[in-house]
Amino acid sequence: MRMTQRDTSQLAVSAAAYLCIGTFALICLIPFWLMYIGSFTAESQIVKGFRMFPTEFTFDSYRFLFQGSQVYYSSFVSISITVAGTIAAVLMTSMFSYVAAHTKVKYRYFLSFYIYFTMLFPPGLVGYYLLISNWLNLRDSVLALLLPLLFSAFNAFLMTSYFRTLPFELNEAATVDGAHELYIFFRIIWPISMPVIATIALFYALSYWNDWFNALMFIDDPQNHPLQMMLRRIVSNSENLDYLNANINIPVSATGVQLSTVVITIGPIIFLYPFLQRYFIKGMTIGAIKG
Amino acid sequence: MGILQELRKNKWLYAMSLPVIVYVFIFSYLPMSAHILAFKQFIPAKGLWGSEWVGLDNLTFFFTGPDWLGVTLNTIYLNLLFIVSGTVCSLGIALLLNEIHHSLIKKVTQSLVILPHFISIIVVNLMVMNFFNGQDGMINSLLKEFGFQTISWFQTPEVWPWLLTIIFVWKGAGWGSIIYLATLTGFSEEYYESAKIDGAKRWQQIWYITLPLLRPTIIVLTLLSLGRIFYGDFGLIYGIIGDNSLLFNSTDVIDTYTYRSLRSTNMNSYSNAAAVALFQSVMGLITILFFNWFVRRVDNDSKLF
Repeated sequence: MRMTQRDTSQLAVSAAAYLCIGTFALICLIPFWLMYIGSFTAESQIVKGFRMFPTEFTFDSYRFLFQGSQVYYSSFVSISITVAGTIAAVLMTSMFSYVAAHTKVKYRYFLSFYIYFTMLFPPGLVGYYLLISNWLNLRDSVLALLLPLLFSAFNAFLMTSYFRTLPFELNEAATVDGAHELYIFFRIIWPISMPVIATIALFYALSYWNDWFNALMFIDDPQNHPLQMMLRRIVSNSENLDYLNANINIPVSATGVQLSTVVITIGPIIFLYPFLQRYFIKGMTIGAIKG
Repeated sequence: MGILQELRKNKWLYAMSLPVIVYVFIFSYLPMSAHILAFKQFIPAKGLWGSEWVGLDNLTFFFTGPDWLGVTLNTIYLNLLFIVSGTVCSLGIALLLNEIHHSLIKKVTQSLVILPHFISIIVVNLMVMNFFNGQDGMINSLLKEFGFQTISWFQTPEVWPWLLTIIFVWKGAGWGSIIYLATLTGFSEEYYESAKIDGAKRWQQIWYITLPLLRPTIIVLTLLSLGRIFYGDFGLIYGIIGDNSLLFNSTDVIDTYTYRSLRSTNMNSYSNAAAVALFQSVMGLITILFFNWFVRRVDNDSKLF
């Protein structure tokens, strides 16, 4: 009697879970599906609204997009700042976090506080604007896209709390053998820290890839616009597809071109997602243990 | 000399931390000096230090103006909506995902609910436009089809706090659930086994075992987000509302207001914006310190410092 009762309550909860999670998962997926289908839909159909399944299949929006020069400039900018920025940011952050977690370092808590204070009392938008545009003179330079995202205090804390969990005997054994600090870090610590390094790399890569604010503030020259900024331009000013410098003989709707741009910006994320997922869930969980 | 000795002893370790130390000094500490512009009349040619002091003029201008109370209340109100609905939904997703035992389905659904977190706000904005824009956006078409009155969404400020909350939840709730799910999968099976022997139903187990065990995590995460209640979600709000002044009434927050003050053609735009930024930083500092003190009292292990 008791057994069957337990089973029914378990069953009811499971059924509710499948139903609710399934629904929410669909709500998360459908907008992406609609945009993906929309990017292949002919101009005559898309003006009638989005469809779950394509009615008239065409590559026109993509052809239009890739005939213009802007998409090449913007992809180049996005890819190069993402790759260069992520590599530099991961190196800087991991070295710093390692030191801030190292028990041999007497001033490690000062180092943590030095970073933490910037979260307590952020510099504010005006100082940030003055720094980039007036003091460093980075207007219209890709450095204005690269430098501001090079370090995130949140990522540093995530990493520091991971490094604190490492067994430091590893370290001492190596030090006794006379290994150099840099050697210990890159050859011993780095390989066993892959989950957290992959997580942080993903966070930095996404913040570069998805950034549009710095371009909006500091970049006027379209040749230095990243993909997100290009998308913003053709979304907020949809009549003006001239921005793309494309052949105007192909009949396209602004919506179709916007959607094909979206597919280009989301594509790499979706493609890399399954590879990275197991890492970042693990990495987030390590950080979750403390702050 | 203690300091020099320490630096010499661990010179390579300190050298490894140097890039970040220098970087943070330039990108975080130097710009803090711009807060003094709140007390100056900034003229770019004269620079930060050369510009004239004007005492409390900029702050008086801000606090006697018509906007300050509205944007402050909007910031707090929107953040409360975000925090409450975000926490409830993240928690719900975590609890439900934990009930899905089919490992492939669990993996796929978890991937899907996290996915929106990785999408830029510009893309979200494009979705929102296509759903809500004009008379023939998707939502209005649906309303028409079912015989309801259509709504001019982009001219109706009252609906936007809720729409923004829905967007916030759509984008972030799955991501937020990771931390709860990780915590609750760590709970010992023993509690549940003994509850089962006592005949507790599954939802009773969730209500009387899982939720109480999650309580410290919920409280700490909530307090930490409350500490940032004076910081609006600039990306989300500006990315979607942009410069649509019809909606400012209900959606303009301190961050978007500062941004517009800075970009305005007003002679004194820098100093006006600096006054708002200073107000925000000071209020932010006070609330963060307060809630961190509170966290320390609730759960000393979860304090930030």
